[in-house]
Amino acid sequence: MATHIPPPATPSPAAEPTKPEKVDYFDLPCPIPYEEIHREAMMSLKPEHFEGMRFDFTKGLNQKFSLSHSVVMGPTEVPSQSAETIKIPTANYEFGANFIDPKLMLFGRILTDGRLSARVKCDLSENLTMKANAQLTNEPHMSHGMFNFDYKGSDYRTQLQLGNGGLIGASYIQSVTPHLSLGGEVFWAGQHRKSGLGYAARYNTDKMVASGQIASTGMVVLGYVQKVSEKVSLATDMMYNYMSRDVTASFGYDYILRQCRLRGKIDSNGCTSAFLEERLNMGLNFILSAEIDHKKKDYKFGFGMTVGE
Amino acid sequence: MSSKVVLKTKGKSAKGSKPSDDKSTSKILKEWSTWTMKKAKVITHYGFIPLVIFIGMNSEPKPSISQLLSPI
Repeated sequence: MATHIPPPATPSPAAEPTKPEKVDYFDLPCPIPYEEIHREAMMSLKPEHFEGMRFDFTKGLNQKFSLSHSVVMGPTEVPSQSAETIKIPTANYEFGANFIDPKLMLFGRILTDGRLSARVKCDLSENLTMKANAQLTNEPHMSHGMFNFDYKGSDYRTQLQLGNGGLIGASYIQSVTPHLSLGGEVFWAGQHRKSGLGYAARYNTDKMVASGQIASTGMVVLGYVQKVSEKVSLATDMMYNYMSRDVTASFGYDYILRQCRLRGKIDSNGCTSAFLEERLNMGLNFILSAEIDHKKKDYKFGFGMTVGE
Repeated sequence: MSSKVVLKTKGKSAKGSKPSDDKSTSKILKEWSTWTMKKAKVITHYGFIPLVIFIGMNSEPKPSISQLLSPI
């Protein structure tokens, strides 16, 4: 019996002598939601960089309910017309409340300047989910809100999106083989009178994930993540806009070790960055973030602590 | 003659008011939906976090008010 098992170092792609896997095309797994198609590449290559000091305290009152207090002090970038980046030192306190239930999830964050960011996820039935997302400010015409209705079938997912400013979108993704899923989306922005169409594909195995997306707005995104070992993954991604002829390629690594998680990347725009989350103790995390843009001569370093689960 | 003239003007004014009636119903609908959107935005802005806290404080096991306010 042992001789029939092929050694793992020599895979045989054409002939699978011991395990002829017959694909049951009626029993394919449910695909990843359309907006998360680049999930692994985004998680490895785009951590939340920040500049300055950050302190987060999450206090759980209950298994489902928790409050969070967060203080951020540091320079924030202000959009400017010139090539120089203008930074203004700001300090913010943010209060948040989360309620997480298997059927209902409520997430709210409010800043001292009155900006509210709210997320609601509600399971209306076993397969139908409603999600709502809102960013509300005191300034007029700067608030956004969006509702999503997701339906999950046995091997497909569909989503309908309604947003303010007359935004309507729909997306559909289907598992075509156990490893490959294909999807498409269409949207209409009422206020700007724009419509768009997009297609996406994702191929994943245990060791790697390759994803690609193309949209009629001119955006092409390709991503590839390889899991080199249990603790290390390497990721690369490329974003190309064929309308504005803008290309950005990046290559990064993601080390998930017992006590820390280190993510680093280098960009074709001359930007290198790293993000370290170190677990000092149960419930105490130390965060370091660095982003060095050699082209624009913009250096951002940040440190922080996260207390609580 | 004068009565005919009066009828004509009445007819004209009646015709004149019909299209403005149609305009005003769609206009009223738009204004009403904008009004509800504005009120909904204000209500969500002030009420969302209190709503989450209310739902959380009434979930099992019930936490106490002192746990809500204390920093530990």
